[in-house]
Amino acid sequence: MQAAGYTGNNVSLINTTILIVYFCSMINNELARFHFRRFCTESDMSAYDELYRLLYSRLVHLSAAIVGSFHLAEEVVSDVFIMIWQKRQELAAVDNPVVYIYISTRNRSLNTVQQQKRHRHTSLELLDTDALAMSPDPEHGMISAEIIQKIEAAIRSLPDRCQLIFRLVKQDGLRYKEVAELLDISPKTVDAQLAIAVKKIAAAIRLDMPQELAQAFLFR
Amino acid sequence: MMHDRIWYLLGRKVANELLPEEAEELEHLLQQYPDASYVKEILMQSWKDKQKEFTSGDIEAALLRNKQRLLEVQSQMPTEPIPAKRNSKVFRLSLRVASVAAAAVLLFLVSRIWLGRGENDKREQPALQQLVTKTGSRTYIKLTDGTSVWLNAGSKLHYPKQFEGKNREVTLEGEAYFEVATDANHPFIVKTNACSIRVLGTSFNVRFYPDEKMATTSLVTGSIEVVADRRTVRLQPNEKLTIPYSLPATNTANVETPPIKLSTLTPVKDNIVVETAWKDNKLAFKKLALSEVVQLMERWYGAEIHFKSEQKKSLVFSGVFENESLTEALQALEMSGGFHFTKDKNNIYWIE
Repeated sequence: MQAAGYTGNNVSLINTTILIVYFCSMINNELARFHFRRFCTESDMSAYDELYRLLYSRLVHLSAAIVGSFHLAEEVVSDVFIMIWQKRQELAAVDNPVVYIYISTRNRSLNTVQQQKRHRHTSLELLDTDALAMSPDPEHGMISAEIIQKIEAAIRSLPDRCQLIFRLVKQDGLRYKEVAELLDISPKTVDAQLAIAVKKIAAAIRLDMPQELAQAFLFR
Repeated sequence: MMHDRIWYLLGRKVANELLPEEAEELEHLLQQYPDASYVKEILMQSWKDKQKEFTSGDIEAALLRNKQRLLEVQSQMPTEPIPAKRNSKVFRLSLRVASVAAAAVLLFLVSRIWLGRGENDKREQPALQQLVTKTGSRTYIKLTDGTSVWLNAGSKLHYPKQFEGKNREVTLEGEAYFEVATDANHPFIVKTNACSIRVLGTSFNVRFYPDEKMATTSLVTGSIEVVADRRTVRLQPNEKLTIPYSLPATNTANVETPPIKLSTLTPVKDNIVVETAWKDNKLAFKKLALSEVVQLMERWYGAEIHFKSEQKKSLVFSGVFENESLTEALQALEMSGGFHFTKDKNNIYWIE
């Protein structure tokens, strides 16, 4: 009987692990690295599929912010994956696959913009920030629709690149040095920009604090 | 300012970059400022994309589109002219007919390669059995390794009396549904003239009627690899692969090969899927031209059905038949509109 109980525990432990893998983007990036290596070295198509599933939404959002259209962004991401599949043998040695795929997506997105609108100067300073928009999930229950709106407004008031940095850290689980490499800035800048974003968001939330709490806060 | 320090540290926490001493500092500050704890909770929970939230269905669809493009790109890798994309179904069909010859050449080469691979099998050919079904009849067989095979109407299966050697090999012409007994050491291989399918243990459907000019492999569970035209495509459950094919006899000069196509299985209703319904004695089709429905019915019921009016061929129907006779099935289609049918004294059905 005891043995059976033990097995039961094991099963629930495995389930929890799967949940964590699904919900923690940090671990997702580890998983992405694992799948990338697998399809580079073994040409395993199922690893390619897994990688696509893991990164699709994130890359499409990044690309859409640059090219200004989700439709175009899907093509860009599709091209990037076809490219890495074709070059897989050379890519087995890539240091950080996740950053490599992000940078490829960035470059191809910038090229697409350049082809489409020759006159517009292309850089990561000018973004379609609507594509980057995100907000707390009201289903978590601890937040009102009003605060959510205020948070969204606070994020919109940030410079384009600051919004992108916040998203890459919060939603995509990228490390500071990964964001720095992708945007060609120093990790210190990433650090500082993120602090600005958090401060703005915190201000939006605090304005909506219950009276007593705000008072306690002010008179401390 | 003290508060700026909290937001800075919170930022680092969100990014998972906190150093141990910073974590301690943050903990301490949060105790002093309860409102900051609330901000922390909100920042640490998962957030939703505002503009576009992709469901797993969206992502699977995008992956399929990507795989389709990948196949097209790979098939264009040799120095062949790039086939233009066409939307018109009629054109696609005529393209298919016109281009079978090139496909035949390629497939002939592939089959040569495959024959070459199995050279050691040639030395002692195991005694082959043959199972044949006529139109209007279906059958089931359990092979000696425990694999179940359902054979649809008008089909032929060659299989050894006893499986020997490294691979378990069978040859198919027509349509069959396989539930392969798992044996990782002896891959199960289904050969058709259009492709080879390599399996470890799984359920899938192979449809290759030479007169349909294509071979379709549909995967239900597990994982299989389809080898055709020197390429290997691995299928996921609920995917099917369609490969163009033609008899080598229709071999003519330079024509384009239609692309190998990867798509998903077609649900009709409840749990019935078009590709495998026949195994459970159901004839199912979805949004199919009457000309193709008639072809299915002729094979299913072992009857002859002809058109008096060419126009009626392009009517489109969906349906599932189980216990109906051919007359009842045709009556049901007739009721949903667009045509009438009659039966002459030679038991031939006429659609007008």
